Amino acid sequence: MPFEQIFGAANAIALASWLCLIMLPRWPWLMAAIRHVIIGALAIAYAALVMIFFFRVEDGGFGSIAQVRALFMSDPVLVAGWLHYLAFDLFVGLWIAGKSAEIGLSRILQAPILLGTFMFGPLGLLMFMGCQATMLVAQRQTENAT
Amino acid sequence: MTVRTLDHSLPPASSARWRPVTTDTVLLTGMAIQLALTPPTLLGLLFDARLLNDISVWTKPLKFQFSMALNLLTLFILLKVLPPDDRNSRFIRLCALAVAAASTFEIVYIMLQAARGVGSHYNVGTRLEALGYQLMGVGAVTMVSGAFLIGLAIRRAAQPTGLQGTHMGAWSGLMLGSVLTLLTAGVLSAGFDGPGHWVGGVKSDAAGLPLTGWSTTGGDLRVPHFFATHLSQALPLLGLLVDRFKLRMPAVWIASGAAVGSLIVVVTFLQALSGRPLVALS
Repeated sequence: MPFEQIFGAANAIALASWLCLIMLPRWPWLMAAIRHVIIGALAIAYAALVMIFFFRVEDGGFGSIAQVRALFMSDPVLVAGWLHYLAFDLFVGLWIAGKSAEIGLSRILQAPILLGTFMFGPLGLLMFMGCQATMLVAQRQTENAT
Repeated sequence: MTVRTLDHSLPPASSARWRPVTTDTVLLTGMAIQLALTPPTLLGLLFDARLLNDISVWTKPLKFQFSMALNLLTLFILLKVLPPDDRNSRFIRLCALAVAAASTFEIVYIMLQAARGVGSHYNVGTRLEALGYQLMGVGAVTMVSGAFLIGLAIRRAAQPTGLQGTHMGAWSGLMLGSVLTLLTAGVLSAGFDGPGHWVGGVKSDAAGLPLTGWSTTGGDLRVPHFFATHLSQALPLLGLLVDRFKLRMPAVWIASGAAVGSLIVVVTFLQALSGRPLVALS
């Protein structure tokens, strides 16, 4: 099966989605399309790859570096793992975009956070959680002052 | 719209609005879990070359997803004859949850075994798999009992006016369907001619009937199981038609439908036990 093609196509689709998320207005239909169509398709492709190939890997598993390495030695399971990153990172990106409005985070400042999430997942999430925590503290201060 | 959506401050911590767990949400989400697994299963059917009994390992998961989703949808629809308060009683909610949870366990185990390329039913190859098969039996009995008890509750409830046929079709379909399923599936799971659904004939699913996959060379115990289980759709549908066309004596219609349905189950059951196929293709 053309795993290289699946990999390339998924990357292109994810990149386009991230560009939309960073650059374009947050049209509800666009958010819904990324959430349900793009992430949905990534999830279906991931599920199918895992269902078909996961248990074919000898000595594969999640319990040790050797087991995980064995999984990643299989091209289809490696592609599945990559789809997992793409889908979950994009989902977190959508969540950040949605929550950003709640704390009044500027689109200019959202951009590097979303870019960080796109490239290195948890790193961008960490930046956003910092913003959230800070605004929560600031909110409490304001409430106490009044 | 509240003011909160206009400013950009954090919402109060208690702002989350919880939707209560009702019988309806339990049944609908249980159905959704089954159907969400269908797309990747279809891909498996298309691209996975592994076979079990000479057919794709993903055929069984697909059939179970459809039938368990249909079962949960049926319970959701039939419970509409109860007033909302009765439908959301603790007892009915527990029945619904038991059916939904058991269905979820069944599909997870069936798909896990398919992904591993081995059987789920009848597979007692390892101690863990023997346990898995036993638990599937527990799950199946749970599903059937839940449907039976929901049927009983519908029977005890007041008949909605103008819906006598639907009401009677609902409870009789659920109760009769459950009892006959328990009997036919009980024999099926025990295996009548060695482990498996076949009785005589070629012990392969390769030459089965389209869609159902039933044996065309020998008896197949899945046939009476099918007709027994789907009484819980057939009788309510008959009741719906009786009410729709305002036919007289709805009870007689439903009782006749139940008799015909039971006869079909008994005949196909005896046919399978005697090793003859429902349809012989040569």
